[in-house]
Amino acid sequence: MIKITELEKVYRTEEVETIALNKLTMEVKDGEFVAVMGPSGCGKSTLLNILGLLDDPDNGSFMFNNIEVAHFNERKRADLRKHNIGFVFQSFNLIDELTVFENVELPLIYTGVKAAERKKRVEEVLDKVQIMHRRNHYPQQLSGGQQQRVAVARAVVNHPKLILADEPTGNLDSHNGNEVMELLTELNEQGTTIVMVTHSEHDARYSHRIIRMLDGQTVTENVLV
Amino acid sequence: MIKNYFILAFRKLKHQKIFSFINIIGLTVGTTCCLMIFLFIAHELSYDNFHKNKENIYRVMRVGGHLNGGGSEEIAYLSPAYSTALLNDYPDAIQQAVRVMPDNDLITYKNVGFNEKKIYLVDDNFFEFFSFPLVKGNPATVLKDPLSIVLTESTAKKYFGNEDPIGKVVDWNKKLKLKVTGIAKDVPSNSHLYFDMVAPLSYYKNEPWYSQFPNNMLFTYVQLNPHTDPKKLISRFPQFMDKYLGKYYRENGFSMGLTIDPLKDIYFQNLVFDNVKHGSKSVVFTFTSIAVLILIIACINFMNLATARATDRSKEVGLRKVLGALRKQLIIQFIGEAFLFAMVSSILALGLLQLLMPAYNNLLGYNLSSYWTNPLVYIFLAGIVLIIGLLAGSYPALLLSSFSPIESLKGKLKVGKNGSLFRKTLVVFQFSISVLLIISITIIVKQMNYVQGADLGFNKEHALVVKLDNNTIGEKKLLFKTQLQNDPDVQNVSLMSGEPGGFHDVHSFETEAMPNEKIMLSTEFTDFEFAKTLGLKIIAGRDLSSQYSTDTLHGVLINRTTAAKLGYTPQQAVGKWIKNTMRDSLRRNIVGVVEDFHFSSLKDPIQPFVIAPNDDRRVALIRIKPGNLQSTINRIKNIYTSLAPAYPFEYDFLDEQFNQQYKSEVRQQTVLSIFSAIAIFIASLGLFGLSSYTAIKRTKEVGVRKVLGSSVENIVLLLSKDLLKPVLLGALIAMPVGYYFMNKWLQGFAYRIVFHWWMFAMAIAIAVIIALLTVGVQAVKAAMANPVKSLRTE
Repeated sequence: MIKITELEKVYRTEEVETIALNKLTMEVKDGEFVAVMGPSGCGKSTLLNILGLLDDPDNGSFMFNNIEVAHFNERKRADLRKHNIGFVFQSFNLIDELTVFENVELPLIYTGVKAAERKKRVEEVLDKVQIMHRRNHYPQQLSGGQQQRVAVARAVVNHPKLILADEPTGNLDSHNGNEVMELLTELNEQGTTIVMVTHSEHDARYSHRIIRMLDGQTVTENVLV
Repeated sequence: MIKNYFILAFRKLKHQKIFSFINIIGLTVGTTCCLMIFLFIAHELSYDNFHKNKENIYRVMRVGGHLNGGGSEEIAYLSPAYSTALLNDYPDAIQQAVRVMPDNDLITYKNVGFNEKKIYLVDDNFFEFFSFPLVKGNPATVLKDPLSIVLTESTAKKYFGNEDPIGKVVDWNKKLKLKVTGIAKDVPSNSHLYFDMVAPLSYYKNEPWYSQFPNNMLFTYVQLNPHTDPKKLISRFPQFMDKYLGKYYRENGFSMGLTIDPLKDIYFQNLVFDNVKHGSKSVVFTFTSIAVLILIIACINFMNLATARATDRSKEVGLRKVLGALRKQLIIQFIGEAFLFAMVSSILALGLLQLLMPAYNNLLGYNLSSYWTNPLVYIFLAGIVLIIGLLAGSYPALLLSSFSPIESLKGKLKVGKNGSLFRKTLVVFQFSISVLLIISITIIVKQMNYVQGADLGFNKEHALVVKLDNNTIGEKKLLFKTQLQNDPDVQNVSLMSGEPGGFHDVHSFETEAMPNEKIMLSTEFTDFEFAKTLGLKIIAGRDLSSQYSTDTLHGVLINRTTAAKLGYTPQQAVGKWIKNTMRDSLRRNIVGVVEDFHFSSLKDPIQPFVIAPNDDRRVALIRIKPGNLQSTINRIKNIYTSLAPAYPFEYDFLDEQFNQQYKSEVRQQTVLSIFSAIAIFIASLGLFGLSSYTAIKRTKEVGVRKVLGSSVENIVLLLSKDLLKPVLLGALIAMPVGYYFMNKWLQGFAYRIVFHWWMFAMAIAIAVIIALLTVGVQAVKAAMANPVKSLRTE
């Protein structure tokens, strides 16, 4: 599904030049669950942003489903993104003024799904993450774990092939964290590819493979399964 | 999608109360002002639009050289003979003509009488020529009988109550019996002609003045053939004037031209003494500018607050982008929010308008009652919503949608220097407009106080003006004067052709100084008490006096300017002769020279002025001894009523009457003050929002500073400084602009105030104080907060 070769990304400010990705090469197969680990500043977030088509690399190749996407323009990236990729963030990033239902519905609106179909699919996925009873609540009325479950629901409502999770348990206690990890595992078992950035060895153990990064490069890969 | 935007926008509106409140109040007030001004302007521009033949109707005007030199002056009054001659000489060009003579008559029905001041004596085709609809009666025949009369609905009600007025007979000046043959709808407020009654002019057709030039006394309107080029017709008029008036002009040493003005232009003509309604293009312009400025200020508030809050919304923008929103979709969303605000405001504005309408009608002096059903109002409102939506929504939309999703999600986003620079620029603009308005008002108020309080060169206190405007009192005017003189509290009485500020004929004179030339001079026809009653100063020679038997036919007073015009010092002028070629057959000797005084408004420089004894008396000027004012007026009333029992006694105070000349300026002053206050209010509202926002944003900084030992004053200063700078800059920009516009405005007055630095300083001070109060409240609140609390919020 993902094949990146010699990917480079450099951030420049007036005084400093930071190499975020240094000729990084890696591959993620369909249906894999990959954890990316490494110290702060090693380039894992940059990698995730590029994988999520939120940012473009300076050099190198990025094949997504056998299509070179490294230099797609914004419109093309947005189009590819909304149909294929779901995101889960550490800080949930739910819109405070929208209810649970409306938050989850949002990606479907952008992909142009009809209202009746939207209702069905949102309810389906809310059911799946067991938050259906809170569908008309606002995010602030939920616990952290519930909020993250809503965020996961939002990430999968469009049936994406790939889910990118950026420290999904970072803001949660261990109980809620485990629930979210189990939810991701379940999704993976149903066929969704997952790339997860994490600091937690515990969480990483849910994955099939751990990629460890340092200074913009992969240093080791541990295959768990 | 749209529904989603609306839900979100509505919830945001509810959540952010201060922000929404400021925007909605600002936009609502702005929209209401625009609506009010729109209604006014629409009314002003609709004058005389309702006439079916409006495209082809023109008013015939005489054109004379302007007194002040340069340009020419048009005069609406013509003799009745013009109409006949024009129809006779230009049958190809002129389809029909109608004459309108404004008149003032005593109308009585069953012992109830009114001195009707809005009577038109007209040709019998009046109701066919103009489109004043008749409720009863046939337009073609209603005025055919010389002894008929048409009343408006309200007037008919006044006389006959609910009885059928048709066929009733009213008494005309106690002389004639006129039969009511028709009822006209009340004259719409957007008509330059306005009347309560219309009667046929044909009754007078055998009078000598009816068919002889010059006898200028009425208006003449012509309807041209649709294919007639008015310019071509005007080019034939010199020949016409020569044919009928050439001899008369040559004898009197002056001449006038003839022209026609389109009906639609009459309302905006700058004529003072033609007794029809006039508006002012400059008032329309001022109103329009203010409406635009207020709307801009309100839009700026919206833009400012929306961009200031941009960081708050960056998360939402980032998220939407991650979920696949295109920039275009986000732009639509944010512009949509602006539209929502605009729509809510416009609905509130309609409600507010409804509440303010009575007061507004009062201010305007007429009823804009039909606005509710006027489709233009709604089209205009839709236009405003569109303008606000695009103007106020586009910048925030473009800014917000440009955020990079990664940075905005992480909260790293800095709405860089550009954003805050842009906001400051907008604040500069808002406050330069506010200061500009304050400067304008300061100068207008100053100038109006100056002209209304200026030493006019005559004593305007305790002086009553009573018009001798009906035949009864006219015939007994000398008796009236004698009886007044016998009252111990009446100091002086003088009968004259025109009081200061009133109408003065300009006549042609022969003079000893320039024997081969005829010159035009303003005239006063009066008795021997004129100078005494007005308190004029004689600077050479003596006053006119009954002790000199020759004064009535041979004596004349001139003012200092006349002496100068003739090339004399006041002393030299005494004893020289002048001759009014239009009134006198004999030369008059100058017996005295009076000091210049303002016999017309301070807008015009003092002109040459000739005061001669003559029987032409149209006004009584009564100077009362200070003290028992009311009882003296009551006694004067009794004298008047005993002489002219049928007529109500009406009077004006000379000073008030004189200041009536500045009516339109005073109205402009009122309107400008009100709307400027509103503009400043909206601008302050925006500043308030912006400062409360800054205070919140800098809570942490304030906390840190306080922990490090900063005093409350330091922090207030810190927070205020940032917002006060643009206010001050705006004020500085406003100064030259204000100077330019107000200097132009002051050029309209021959006598005017000079600019003082303090006028500008005061305007700036007012703006700064208002801004300081607005910003200061927020700054103090932020500075007083407990630093432990403010640090914890991060």
